[in-house]
Amino acid sequence: MEYFKSSLKSVLGSASVENEPSGADTVERLVDRLQSSTLLNDRRDACRALKALSRTYRVEVGAQGMDALRQILEMDRTDCEIIGLALDTLCNITSPKTFDEEVDKHGPNNKVGEQFTEIFIKNADSVGLVLALLEEFEFKVRWPAIKLLMHLSTNRLKDIQEIILVSPMGVSKLMDLLGDSREVIRNDVLLLLIQLTKGNANIQKIVAFENAFDRIFDVIAQEGNVEGGIVVEDCLLLMLNLLRGNISNQNFFKEGSYIQKLTPMFQISSEHDDNPLSTWSPQKVSNVHCMVQVIRALVAPSGPAQAVSNCQRIMRACGLLQALCNILMASGVPADVLTETINTVAEVIRGNSSNQEFLAGVMAPSNPPRPAIVVLLMSMVNEKQSFALRCSVLYCFQCFLYKNEMGQSQLIQTLLPQGNEVPSLTTGQLLCGGLFSSDSLSNWFSAVALSYALIEDNTQKEQLLRVLLATNIGKPPVTLMQQCVMLLQQGSKAQCKLGLLMLLCRWIAHCLAAVKSFLLIDSSIAYLTALLSSQENNDDLQETLLQSMCAMLIGLCVHFNDNSISNYTKEKLCNLIENRIGLERFQDAIGGLARHEVYSRTLKHPQPSAKNPSELLLDHEFCRLSKTLEGVIIKSVLDGSSLHQKNEITIPTLPDSVLITQYKEVIREQSSQIQKLNQLTESLVKEKNELEAQVHDLRSSISHLKDQNLVLRAAQTNLMPEENESINVTTNVTTNVGCTKEAEKYKNVITELEIRLVEYASMVKKYETDFERKLKEKSEELEKLKKDQEDLLELLAEDESKIMRYEEKLIALGEKIETDESSIELDTDDQAECNNSVERIDRLISP
Amino acid sequence: MSNRDPDNLISTNDETFDYLFKIVLIGDCGTGKTCVVQRFRSGTFIERHGNTIGVDFSMKTVLIDDKKVKLQIWDTAGQERFRTITQSYYRSANGVVVVYDITKRSTFLSLQHWVEEVRRYTSSHVLLILVESLREVEKGEAEALCQYLPEVLQVVETSAKENTNIDSVFFYLASELKRRHENRQINANGDEVVRLGASKKLSSCSSCSYKIF
Repeated sequence: MEYFKSSLKSVLGSASVENEPSGADTVERLVDRLQSSTLLNDRRDACRALKALSRTYRVEVGAQGMDALRQILEMDRTDCEIIGLALDTLCNITSPKTFDEEVDKHGPNNKVGEQFTEIFIKNADSVGLVLALLEEFEFKVRWPAIKLLMHLSTNRLKDIQEIILVSPMGVSKLMDLLGDSREVIRNDVLLLLIQLTKGNANIQKIVAFENAFDRIFDVIAQEGNVEGGIVVEDCLLLMLNLLRGNISNQNFFKEGSYIQKLTPMFQISSEHDDNPLSTWSPQKVSNVHCMVQVIRALVAPSGPAQAVSNCQRIMRACGLLQALCNILMASGVPADVLTETINTVAEVIRGNSSNQEFLAGVMAPSNPPRPAIVVLLMSMVNEKQSFALRCSVLYCFQCFLYKNEMGQSQLIQTLLPQGNEVPSLTTGQLLCGGLFSSDSLSNWFSAVALSYALIEDNTQKEQLLRVLLATNIGKPPVTLMQQCVMLLQQGSKAQCKLGLLMLLCRWIAHCLAAVKSFLLIDSSIAYLTALLSSQENNDDLQETLLQSMCAMLIGLCVHFNDNSISNYTKEKLCNLIENRIGLERFQDAIGGLARHEVYSRTLKHPQPSAKNPSELLLDHEFCRLSKTLEGVIIKSVLDGSSLHQKNEITIPTLPDSVLITQYKEVIREQSSQIQKLNQLTESLVKEKNELEAQVHDLRSSISHLKDQNLVLRAAQTNLMPEENESINVTTNVTTNVGCTKEAEKYKNVITELEIRLVEYASMVKKYETDFERKLKEKSEELEKLKKDQEDLLELLAEDESKIMRYEEKLIALGEKIETDESSIELDTDDQAECNNSVERIDRLISP
Repeated sequence: MSNRDPDNLISTNDETFDYLFKIVLIGDCGTGKTCVVQRFRSGTFIERHGNTIGVDFSMKTVLIDDKKVKLQIWDTAGQERFRTITQSYYRSANGVVVVYDITKRSTFLSLQHWVEEVRRYTSSHVLLILVESLREVEKGEAEALCQYLPEVLQVVETSAKENTNIDSVFFYLASELKRRHENRQINANGDEVVRLGASKKLSSCSSCSYKIF
C-alpha cells in the first residue's frame, strides 16, 4: 500500500511541476483520494488538504466534495480527527459569509453558502449525522458540528428547524450541550438555540420542556447576572424567543415560578451613585433591555387576559413591580433604559387595579416628595425630554387609567376647584399646563392624556364640564371646553389641533350634556364646517386627518343630540351637513380615517408607535372609539337627512329613544313569548301527569296479568304428563290476552280430562275386581282338578296293581301278553299334559 | 406590600414545593388525554376538545404525606404527524401515562407501539401507568397485556366525564415517584461509602430498589 501511495504521490508531484494544476484539478484529485483511498491516513491527509483549499476554492470543494465529505461523516465516525476536518470543511463551504481569499467571488451577497446548504440538507440524513456527532465529547468534533449547524440554520432556518424536529431527540441533544463545561461550546449552543427557536413554537416548547429556563437562569447566575457579559444577553434573548407569543411556554414560566427569579436581577444596586455612568456599561444596558422585554412578553396586552392578569399579580407579589419602580426613580439611569422600564411598568399595571393602585402610591425621592405619576407627567410635558421617553410616559399613563375608574375620577378631581389648601402640583394642573403650552407635542400629549380620564365614564365627562380656568384679571373665567375650542380655532399647528379634536370627540361621545355645551360655544360648528368644506391641502396627511376628525365631531354632535338647542337640532345639523359639506364628502371624510396607514398601525397596539414627533398624530384609544362609532354616526346623519327630505313625515326622535322603544317592543314580544311558553309547559305538565297515571294503571294491569300467567303456567305444567299436546300449546302462547283466553279453554279441557280420568280410574277398579274374582274361581277349579287327578292316579295305581296281579296269574297260567305295555305308556302321556295346563293357569294369575 | 389579598398568599404558597416531577401523557389520537388533564387540573369536563397541537403544558401541586409534589404535566398530541415532535418529550420525563380508549380497540392495540417508543426514548427508571379512558369495561385484557409489558406499573380505568379515578391516577403516580425518589436518595447516600465488614449475606439482599418490577 505504501508503495502505491508513494507512486501516487510521485505522479501527482511530477504533474504539478510540469504544468501548474488548476484549483479545480487539485480538488478533484483530493476528492478522489478521499473517496477511494483505503488507508485512513490518506483520507485524513486529503481531508486536511481539502479543508485548506475550502476557503479559496470554495465552489470547487463544495461542488465536488460534498458527497465525499458526507460519506466521511458516515463511515469514519470513529476517528475524531478526520471528522473534525470534514466538519470544518463543510463549515467553510456553507458559511453565509464570503471569504476574502475566495477565488470566484460573486459579489458580497453571493448565495454560495445557501446553495451548498440546500444541497447538503437535500439528503435529510446529513443533518441527522451532524446531530449524532454532537454526542461526541471531543472538542474537535463537537465544536465544528455546532458551527456547521449554525451555518445551516442561518442559511435555511425553516428547513433545518423541520429536520431537527423530526430527528429523534434532536433538540434534546442540543440542550444537553448547554451543560458543557467548555464555555465556547456552551455559548455557541446558546447562539444556535436562539437561531432555532425563532418562530417555531414546537421547538420552543421542547426546549422549555428540557428545563431550558432552569439552565438559562443557571448560566445567567454563573455569568454574573445583570452585570454579566454578552452571554447573559444571549441567555435572555433565548428566553425571550421561548416566551414571546408562546402561550404554553408563558404558562410554564409562570407556573414554574420563574417570574420570581427575575426579581433579583432587577434589584440593581444604586451604591455607585458617585459615578453613575460607570455602573451602566453598554452591555448592562443591553441586558436590562432584554430583561424588560422578557417581562413585556409575559404581560403583553395582546396576550390572553386571564394569563396576563395572573402574571401581573405575581409580578407585584414577588416585588418585581417594586424593583421596576425603583429603577424609574433611581438617578443615573440611561434614558433608553428608563424609557423601556416605563413601558414595562405600563404593561405590568395595565388593567390591573391593585397594580395601578401600587403605582399611584409610589413616591419619588424628590424634595418635596411627589407621587411618581406626577414626576412622570412632568417629563411628558417637558420639551427637553426625549421623544421616546415622553411617548412611554403617555403609554404608562394610558395603562394607569385603563379600566381604572378611581384613577380617572382622581385626575378630574384635581382640576375641580378644591377647598382651601392648594396642593403643590397635581396631575390635572400639569395636563392643563401642557394643553396650553406653546409646544404642540405637549398639547397633543396632554389632550390625549386627559382624554384617557374620560374613557367610558360619563360622570367624569360631566365633571370636566365644570372646570373653569382663570384668565386675565378682570375677565370672567372660561370653561375648559371653551378654552379648547378657542385653541382649536387659534392654533396653527396641526398636531395640537389633532390632539384637541381627539379630546373633544372623546368628551362629547355618549354625553348629551357635553354636546350641549359644545354646541352652545359660539362658532364651534361654524369652524368645523368651514374646515371640513375647505378644499385645500387635500394631499397632506395631517390636513386630511383633521378633516376626518372634524367630520367625526360633527357626526357625534348629530348622533348624541337631544334637540335642546334650537339652532342645532339634529335636523338642522343634518341640513347643514347636506348643504354646506355634502353628504358624500362627509361620509368620505369619516370613512377616510380608517384608510390611513397610520390609523391601522395605531389601532394595532396601544403603545404609541411613532418614531419621531411628526409621526405622532393618532391615539390608540381614539382609533378604537372612531371604529366603534363610525357606523352609527353615518347612519344617524343619513337618517337625519332622509327624515328632512321626507318633510318630517315622522317625528324625529332621539336614537336613544328609538332604541328604547325598539327594546321595549322586543321585551314585550319576549314577555308574550314567555307567557305562551309558560302555558305550554303547564299543559304539557298536565298531560305528562295524565300519561304517568295511565302508565301506572297499565303497569299494574300488566303485573296482574303476569301473576295470572304464572298461575296458569304452573297449572299447565301439572297437566303435562297427562296431555302431551298441551306442552306445545303453552310454549306457543306469548301474549297475555291470548293466554288468558286459551288458558280458559284449556281449563275446560282440563276439567273434561279430569272427569275422563276419574271414569277411567273407576273402570280400572271394576276390571280389577272382576279379574280377582275370576282368578279365585279359576284357582278353586284348579284345586278341584288337582284333587281329581290325584284320585285318578290312585285309581290308576290300584288298577295297575290289579293288572299286575292278573298278569302274574296269567303268566302263571301260561298265557302270553303284548299290548298291555303300550297302554301304560299312553297313561303317562296324559299326566304330562295335565301338568302343562296347570302351568298355563299360573301364568294367567301372576301378572 | 403589607395588604396582600388572599390570592397572593396562595400564589406565594404555590412557589414552594418539595418535589417536582414531569409527567407525559401519550396515546392515540382522540383517546381523551386532554380531557384527563383538564379534569385533573381544573375539575371540569369539556366534551369536545380540538386536537392538541404539538404539546400542551399544565401544572398542579398535590399534597402527599405533607410534602408538596409539583407535577408538570405535558399533554402531547396523539396525531401521527406530531409523533416525531412528541418523541422529544419522553426523555426527561419522570412518569409516563399511556392513555387508550376502551371503546376503540385500535387504540388498545397500539399500546404495544407506545410502550416500545417509551422504552426506546426514555431513561430507565421512568414510571408507566396505563390509563383506560372513557368507560368501564372489564380490564382483564389490559392486565393480561401487562404481563408482557413489565414496565407498566398499574392499569387504571378512568372516566374524565364521570370523574372516576382521574385524581387517583396522578396521586398514585406522584406518591410512587416521591417514594422512589426518596429511596434513590437513601441509596445514593449508602453507595457513596463502602463499609468493610458491614456486608450482608447474599440472600438478604433484595434486588435493586428502582426495579421492583
